[in-house]
Amino acid sequence: MVFRIGTDAHLYDDPDDVSIAPLLDSKFDSEKCEALKRLLALIAQGFDVSNYFPQVVKNVASQSLEVKKLVYLYLLHYAEKRPNEALLSINCFQKDLGDPNPLVRAWALRTMAGIRLHVIAPLVLVAVGKCARDPSVYVRKCAASALPKVHDLSLEEHTSAIEEIVGMLLNDRSPAVVGAAAAAFASVCPYNLSLVGRNYRKLCEILPDVEEWGQIVLIGILLRYVIARHGLVKESIMYSLQCTESSHSAKDGSDVDSGLVKESTDLSGTCDSEFVNTVSRCYMEGPDEYLSRSSCANRESFELNGAQFTSGKSNDDVKILLYSTSPLLWSNNSAVVLAAAGVHWVMAPKEDVKRIIKPILYLLRSSNASKYVVLRNIQVFAKAMPSLFAPYFEDFFIFSSESYQIKALKLEILSYIATDSSISSIFKEFQDYIRDPDRRFAADTVAVIGLCVQRLPKMAHICVDGLLALTRQEFVTEDFGFEDQEAGILTQVIMSIKSIIKQDPPSHEKVIIQLVRRLDSVKVPAARAMIIWMVGEYSSLGEIIPRMLTTVLKYLAWGFPSEAPETKLQILNTVCKVLEGATGDDLWTFKKIFSYLIELAECDLNYDLRDRARLLKKLPSCNLVSLGLEEETNDLPENDLLHIVAECILGRQTRKVKPESFSYRYYLPGSLSQIVLHAAPGYEPLPRPCSLLLDDLNVAEGTSEMKRAADYSGTDDYGSSSDPSDEESASDYGSQRSVTESSGSDRGDDSEFTSEGNYNADPLIQISDIGNASENQNGVSQSSPANLGELMSNKALESWLDEQPGSSNPGLPKQSQVRISSARISVGDVGKRVKQKSYSLLDPASGNGLKVDYSFSSEISSISRLLVCIEVFFKNCSSEIISEITLVDEESNRAFDSADKTAVVNESSLTSSDDVPTLVPMESIVSLEPGQTTRRILQVRFHHHLLPLKLALYCDGKKLPIKLRPDIGYFVKPLPMDVEVFIDKESRLPGMFEYARSCTFTDHIVELNKENGDSLLVKDKFLAICESLALKMLSNANLCIVSVDMPIATNLDDASGLRLRFSSEILSSSIPCLITLGVEGKCTDPLNLSIKVNCEETVFGLNLLNRIANFLVEPALS
Amino acid sequence: MLQCIFLLSDSGEVMLEKQLTGHRVDRSICDWFWDHVISQGDSFKSQPVIASPTHYLFQVVREGITFLACTQVEMPPLMGIEFLCRVSDVLSDYLGGLNEDVIKDNFVIVYELLDEMIDNGFPLTTEANILREMIAPPNIVSKVLSVVTGNSSNVSDTLPGATRSCIPWRAAEPKYANNEVYVDLVEEMDAVINRDGALVKCEVYGEVRVNSHLSGLPDLTLSFANPSILDDVRFHPCVRFRPWESHQVLSFVPPDGEFKLMSYRIKKLKSTPLYVKPQLTSDAGKCRVNVLVGIRNDPGKTIDSITLEFQLPPCILSADLNSNHGTVNILGNKICSWTIGRIPKDKTPSLSGTLLLETELERLHVFPTFRVGFRIMGVALSGLQIDKLDLKTAPSRLYKGFRALTRAGEFEVRS
Repeated sequence: MVFRIGTDAHLYDDPDDVSIAPLLDSKFDSEKCEALKRLLALIAQGFDVSNYFPQVVKNVASQSLEVKKLVYLYLLHYAEKRPNEALLSINCFQKDLGDPNPLVRAWALRTMAGIRLHVIAPLVLVAVGKCARDPSVYVRKCAASALPKVHDLSLEEHTSAIEEIVGMLLNDRSPAVVGAAAAAFASVCPYNLSLVGRNYRKLCEILPDVEEWGQIVLIGILLRYVIARHGLVKESIMYSLQCTESSHSAKDGSDVDSGLVKESTDLSGTCDSEFVNTVSRCYMEGPDEYLSRSSCANRESFELNGAQFTSGKSNDDVKILLYSTSPLLWSNNSAVVLAAAGVHWVMAPKEDVKRIIKPILYLLRSSNASKYVVLRNIQVFAKAMPSLFAPYFEDFFIFSSESYQIKALKLEILSYIATDSSISSIFKEFQDYIRDPDRRFAADTVAVIGLCVQRLPKMAHICVDGLLALTRQEFVTEDFGFEDQEAGILTQVIMSIKSIIKQDPPSHEKVIIQLVRRLDSVKVPAARAMIIWMVGEYSSLGEIIPRMLTTVLKYLAWGFPSEAPETKLQILNTVCKVLEGATGDDLWTFKKIFSYLIELAECDLNYDLRDRARLLKKLPSCNLVSLGLEEETNDLPENDLLHIVAECILGRQTRKVKPESFSYRYYLPGSLSQIVLHAAPGYEPLPRPCSLLLDDLNVAEGTSEMKRAADYSGTDDYGSSSDPSDEESASDYGSQRSVTESSGSDRGDDSEFTSEGNYNADPLIQISDIGNASENQNGVSQSSPANLGELMSNKALESWLDEQPGSSNPGLPKQSQVRISSARISVGDVGKRVKQKSYSLLDPASGNGLKVDYSFSSEISSISRLLVCIEVFFKNCSSEIISEITLVDEESNRAFDSADKTAVVNESSLTSSDDVPTLVPMESIVSLEPGQTTRRILQVRFHHHLLPLKLALYCDGKKLPIKLRPDIGYFVKPLPMDVEVFIDKESRLPGMFEYARSCTFTDHIVELNKENGDSLLVKDKFLAICESLALKMLSNANLCIVSVDMPIATNLDDASGLRLRFSSEILSSSIPCLITLGVEGKCTDPLNLSIKVNCEETVFGLNLLNRIANFLVEPALS
Repeated sequence: MLQCIFLLSDSGEVMLEKQLTGHRVDRSICDWFWDHVISQGDSFKSQPVIASPTHYLFQVVREGITFLACTQVEMPPLMGIEFLCRVSDVLSDYLGGLNEDVIKDNFVIVYELLDEMIDNGFPLTTEANILREMIAPPNIVSKVLSVVTGNSSNVSDTLPGATRSCIPWRAAEPKYANNEVYVDLVEEMDAVINRDGALVKCEVYGEVRVNSHLSGLPDLTLSFANPSILDDVRFHPCVRFRPWESHQVLSFVPPDGEFKLMSYRIKKLKSTPLYVKPQLTSDAGKCRVNVLVGIRNDPGKTIDSITLEFQLPPCILSADLNSNHGTVNILGNKICSWTIGRIPKDKTPSLSGTLLLETELERLHVFPTFRVGFRIMGVALSGLQIDKLDLKTAPSRLYKGFRALTRAGEFEVRS
């Protein structure tokens, strides 16, 4: 009693001995606590206390964390039952979500998501989106685990938004979050493997650091991804499926790999190839489909070809998966070990699979419950590749304390893995087991001895001797009312002996004789029947048995009336069989015995027996009551027929029984279905190899792809744009896009015009669904129903959305109040279509026939970051040769003083700025033929990004003053980055670092009209708009495209919600400069663009913004 | 994912239910479960995975308490089982043992713990050291406080530092006046001796338990003198895999407090510290039993808590057993247990007596298996030796301690 003082014992014992309601309304937290504890006690004991709901909900606002926690516990239990009252608590959760204490935020989110109300699903989603970017790891983790709840609640509505958040969390820096995100992925969108592909390498690397429960799920996801992406591994156990099914292809394939495989198969020893085949097929397509199909002998529909296999030795993705899962085999958590072992089992080359053995065997020492599960998995492994476990047979020796199921499993496994070298010690063990008090287990042991001998015929004699010795033991044959179990053992002994004899009857002649001798003492009907069956079956075997037949049959006939029905039937059969092969003198005796037995049987009490007697009587070999008739009836056709029937019925059944594995079901290692032996809801076999197409791959490797694309547009392609041959390649520029599930089938038509050839060119636009954080951040869902609006004001929601927990950005832009779920596409490379605008530096009229044009180059100067590269074209329009052309800085001759006065802000901080010349001296052009064009790259340092630079052009000895106008669009260089990084950076540049303007955009109309006019191809309007926007931007500024967000929920004509992101950094200061274009309006009309620039350099940013707005308004160059 | 967790007492009463997801599981599943336990007996209780008509059940039984978890969808069964084991470990750690009363008395803590340990059916925080920071275990002080003031909160109002730091198992930068780290080797010996008296197998499963109270962010390295004898290992998440792969060195940043650093297995040991020689001869409806226990290999330290236990075969009517040392008890379920304690210097403990068989039986044909228990302080029987424990940037006062202990695991002698 003393120990119970101070605990909550009294509350559990008498939860309702005081009235709870007043306590709930009390002013004191301690009394509230007590009341809530009492309610909890009632819940624990299974009472319904939901009638206190309104009072409890009121307390959600309590400041005490303990009260809060208890209220949450209560709410979660009843929220579904009392939806209307539960809504009352929403406001409080929202307040808590803004609490500075991460624990409070996490609890609020967990509870809010746990209240299963359809109407609040949009709110929860917004909250989850916000918490997914919380500074606290714990809160982000809770956000990840809240996602399945939201998904479960709102079903299809918000799938894409949820998947975006999943993608974002999968990319989180903290391993703890990634683990929870993996769990969310598995329950929200297990098929969206492209989401994994994007981060595959990173996920593999982070895997050992992920918390253990996340590891279990993540391992499975990665395995599925690799198979869907690269297919199965040639060297692995799964390859046997191809070896056996389409061995011809291996032959004509003539590749070295298949040879290697054969070697390795030999190396790793024997493995039951047919069984492995079944198992691996079951893994691939689920046993139900496979088995149903194999029964109708139509296996064609699932054909694997060589292309669906990859080599584990050369494929990096496979290697990294195996490498990162192998340390997990040392995990403390048995589920992790088994999951990792499963990956190796399916994916690892056969010779490497053995590394999973020791860790799996170690699992046998963990709790009894997991021991059973592990053994069930080993059972399949050991059957498929016995050689793996053969050296570890001692681990399957049995402790008396183990449960019967475990003992039975261990015995079965021992029978698979016994080898010639280990069998003797295994038999020694078996001898001990037979004397175990658990008789069912002893019977099983006897059965397993039979199985072992079937595998290892060498041991047959020793085993049979041992088994015969057992039949001699008093305890099994003793007369007293034998217990069922003992009888079972004896039957099992005879059965095992029978199966051993069947393998090689001639060498076991003496065994049969011994058994027949024991007939007198063996009293168990089933065992007797079996011995008698053997007499009939092997009646003509060897020398001795035929001679003793007469005696045996006489003995049987004599005892016939007192036998059990089972035995009687066998006696009849046996006599028949003996008659069949009998000749000479014995025949007469046998016939007499037979007719005697038939007479007895025909008036037996058992109707089966009577029927059998009648049937046998009609059979020709038995129906020879009068010998003389034999020859006469011989020529009758039906008599021949009867002979055949007799042959069939009594003849030798030498046909082998098919192994039982075909009726068995196999599921993936470590799955629940493998334990319960039926497909549990939600069980998925491995994905089809290589089902993740190349299109997806682009998405999958989106990050690197995007970087490369950015590099292209930055450097290489500018050069090629001067190449006229590229102009035409731009026209057949296709869009290679894969439509993910989320973006729906309405875009399915687009992929039709994707041509294979285009793959070589970099894809223009790919849809992916990168987690779109800023979308989630902004605004309340319009779809939140009206009744919700009554209960809570939108203001409240906005206010908590705005006040960020912790320190992060105070003033987030509220761009739109409409939450648009959107997919994101990334524009790869429009570089080939980018035409840089060229400006005139000197027109032929004023330059004596010399025409000088320039355009800004996207090249980056290698000398100094203050220099801008300009491409200058000199063209001789006159009819004479112009010589000695050179460009110099006019002011370079003068003192620097005037230049310093105009020195610009961005230079002031740089110490080295003075060393950089205004113009890197140009290599002069010696002479220019008439009509000839020469190109030079100039590197210029503009003193200001708006003011023109005065230069002097010398040609033919004359000096011509010229002005070079800067273009601020080329004071930046592309800064490739991820969307996540972009959003992250953007959120850190709010308020005064953010400038926005709007303008209209018309370029796309031309594009669309052209499209409609000249081709039958139905091109997506959005795509056209994106293209023309991107083109416009990239031709006027040195940027890097980060992403394109497509609206999906809206109708096809409305481009609102389209969003392009560009990133760059200022050349001189390396300060990032982020540009976002938002589109509003109808596709066919001029669009309203909102341009937003985030940049720390205020002046620069504003000027850039103006510049962008200007060139976007400019009509397109025709 | 798991949908619900039930805690059942050994009489089948549902002590606690915790719904984890919106898909509520009705209590009637427990009735179904218990009906089957009653009708099928122990064989049902030893099934860890059960497919009921409506749900898949995972069950783990600890100290008479049945932990039952339900799910309706495919999930790794080991995950469910391992989680339930974790729950039972944490609970018995918190409540100082597991039994019906202690769970009922502390049901609020159990609820709070379950709520932290699992969220929406997926395990959330299972590291014991971190849970301790979130929910204070009941102790004398809090009990007294609650009696005196009528108020005590065991819910911590701040998030444990560990969830903030980059090392999820360690609270951020604790401070200790005395820096101490203790390493214990705890080994369990499994052995099977067959009817001929031959040692069939003998192996050791050991754990390295560390109790660390170190300030700051200590980086420890533990190395063994003879790591080659280790057959297989398993690690706490804090152990870095690569140093072990290359040099067999344990490099880790420990959690604060007590934890299991690694467990290992050493196979094919040559001998056991004790011998047990059972002799059973039976005729004429009787069976004479004589069991001798003695020291075979002196481990150098005293062997204590020696016990011997065996289940009498079902065909025995009565037993009359006596020993020359220690006490013999025959329990209700026909288990005979002989508590020896230490082996006296002057004599060899022996158990002798006769068993009376059922009337029709002439001889005994099934033979019991003897389970042996013992404990040896100060010795790791496997021979594993810790070479050294190093601390990067060691504080001025660091106390390191090592201990070892061996006890019997599954030690069976067949007769």
